[in-house]
Amino acid sequence: MTASASKALKSNAIAYSFILPNLVIFAVFTLVPIAFAFALSFMKWDGANPMVFVGLGNFSRMLHDENFRISLLNTLYFVVGTVPTTLVFSLLLAVLLNREFVGRSFFRAAFFFPFVASLVAVSVVFNMMFFPSMGPVNNILRAIGVSNPPAWSASVQWAMPTVMMAYVWRSVGYYMIIYLAALQGVPHELYEAARIDGATPGQCFRKITVPLLTPATFLVTILLTIASFKIFDLVLVMTGGGPGRATNVLVYTIYDSAFLSFEYGYASAQAMVLFLIVLAITILQFRGEKKWVAYL
Amino acid sequence: MKKLCIIAALMIVALSISAADKVKLKFVVWDLNQTTYIQPVIDAYKAAHPNVDFELINIPANDYDQKIAVMLAGGDDSDIISVKDIPSYAGMVAKNQLEPLNAYVTKSKVDLAQYSGVIDQIVVDKKLYALPFRSDVWIMYYNKDAFDKMKVGYPTNDMTWEQYAALARKVSNGEGVDRIYGSHYHIWRSTWQLPAVQDGKNSIISTDYSFMKPYYEMVIAMQKDKTIMDYASLKVGNIHYSGVFYNGQIAMLPMGSWFIGTLIAKTKDGTNTQKNWGIVKYPHPAGVPAGTTAGTITSLAINAKSANKAAAWDFVKYFSGPEGATILAKLGTLPAIRNQAVLDAIKKVEGFPQDKNSGEALATKTVRLELPNHPKAADIDKILSQEHELIVTGSESIDQGLANMSKRVKETLAAQ
Repeated sequence: MTASASKALKSNAIAYSFILPNLVIFAVFTLVPIAFAFALSFMKWDGANPMVFVGLGNFSRMLHDENFRISLLNTLYFVVGTVPTTLVFSLLLAVLLNREFVGRSFFRAAFFFPFVASLVAVSVVFNMMFFPSMGPVNNILRAIGVSNPPAWSASVQWAMPTVMMAYVWRSVGYYMIIYLAALQGVPHELYEAARIDGATPGQCFRKITVPLLTPATFLVTILLTIASFKIFDLVLVMTGGGPGRATNVLVYTIYDSAFLSFEYGYASAQAMVLFLIVLAITILQFRGEKKWVAYL
Repeated sequence: MKKLCIIAALMIVALSISAADKVKLKFVVWDLNQTTYIQPVIDAYKAAHPNVDFELINIPANDYDQKIAVMLAGGDDSDIISVKDIPSYAGMVAKNQLEPLNAYVTKSKVDLAQYSGVIDQIVVDKKLYALPFRSDVWIMYYNKDAFDKMKVGYPTNDMTWEQYAALARKVSNGEGVDRIYGSHYHIWRSTWQLPAVQDGKNSIISTDYSFMKPYYEMVIAMQKDKTIMDYASLKVGNIHYSGVFYNGQIAMLPMGSWFIGTLIAKTKDGTNTQKNWGIVKYPHPAGVPAGTTAGTITSLAINAKSANKAAAWDFVKYFSGPEGATILAKLGTLPAIRNQAVLDAIKKVEGFPQDKNSGEALATKTVRLELPNHPKAADIDKILSQEHELIVTGSESIDQGLANMSKRVKETLAAQ
């Protein structure tokens, strides 16, 4: 072996040895379970009796399963409701908190705080605020003249919007940080030039800020879509999937099939379907990237 | 040197003999600090069997069924498993996680007849997988002070549901946070649905639930005119029936007899401020004799993977047998063995209401299991709870909800 080749090998070996611990843990705790789940999706297994191969039986059962259909629709409702909302609010917040003013750091921290707060605490406090009979929100609504305020998380029509509100409130801070970082990359000269030409702040926002932030918007959209398809913990604590099946989301149905009905094969099949849906949407988003994302 | 070796060898033998005698049993329970009888039974058993030691694994009641399922699926080797309800029992039996007790029962000559026919309801394929140590029935608790305040007569041991609803309306009073509600329906579907199966003509596992309509109408009317707290508030606020009783916010509470022991203990330590409470029998539909009620059993099972099955069986036999029953009765908890001696012992418990009606409230005529043993019991329970929630929050009409229940349960029973 030549001197340079063995040197390359040695530096490769060093590089791999840095990656190896993380790779091993990732392989053991993530890759292997995913492969196992993929294999399980073609089986029937309750965790104790032997596995039975059923081929595509789980998938055909899903097509006729009302529970699965309802949870898929609920999840789509949730995604469509939260992704644009969180995106718009986090962008607006980032723009507002990009200007210099007294207390700016405090507000940045305050808006980020919900993301790191305990999820159970957030759910309990939201439930208390939206308490149907005596909560502050309904008291205010009654005071301004609304005679029959909604029962929020105990009502079929309003349970999902309540969960969505909690989710948006919680996530806005995180995506605001992404936008704030991206905003630092927008050159000031563009704004000054625009102001000299007589542009209003609104026009500056629409014609300069938003187009130059499209890379960040693309990232935020992808992250938000994936995260909102996976919503589970907030639903579990706030409404438990109810009332009835109004907030049954896909991951809740998977959890239910696996741990409450002990049908690990069926649950794995449902998880595979969720994976394929999210993968398809992400691929579509990447295809669309060239059309609307402008890199400086 | 030789002497030293002999002494050392003797010591090792002696230690290993005593070590072999010592047994440590792992016992899985729920809500240990609310279940006041577990430690006294363990203490009594340890006094009689000094070589047995216990490790209690405590799990919150709400999570118990799921946690135990995951533990057993993961190969946990705990020796004694508390069986909280029929759906989890059916699940554990189906997965062969429990040790059949038939051989042990025969060898120890346990008389299964002393359990009042409950054993037949939990035998699966001629095999018995658990022994009941507690058998609770549904009764009604009431706050005497609330009735005195409104100058209304106390509930009696023979009331129909119509009489009970009228009484609840009469005793309700107050507004807002000071309101005293005539009665209380905890969020479990059983509180609303059990009166429907009391007459024995229908079962909770059915393909047509329209028989529940009059009982839903009764309670929804009570919810509408604020005789009871609304379901939405109870669910969203996670309000427990014990809290509202301790605070004197409710006058009557249909609930299981498991609450007696807790009430006695909490009155003693001051958590319960309503010291003047009593019990009467569960109200009944017209034409059904008083003393007909619904019930549940709590049992002990032995883990199929336990390493100390013989020792575990000895404790299970003790807990579920006459010795355990006596200790439970002295603490105000209804054991599965329920003869006159046990009932008299309960009446003598300090803190048990001493009025005549309370003394007779626990004498039952017919007890129907809340949820019969069935392989699909867990799925059916879930369907009933989901549709129940839609009916009681007003999202579905009663007819629509019961029709959905019937349709979905029929599909579940037909599937697989």
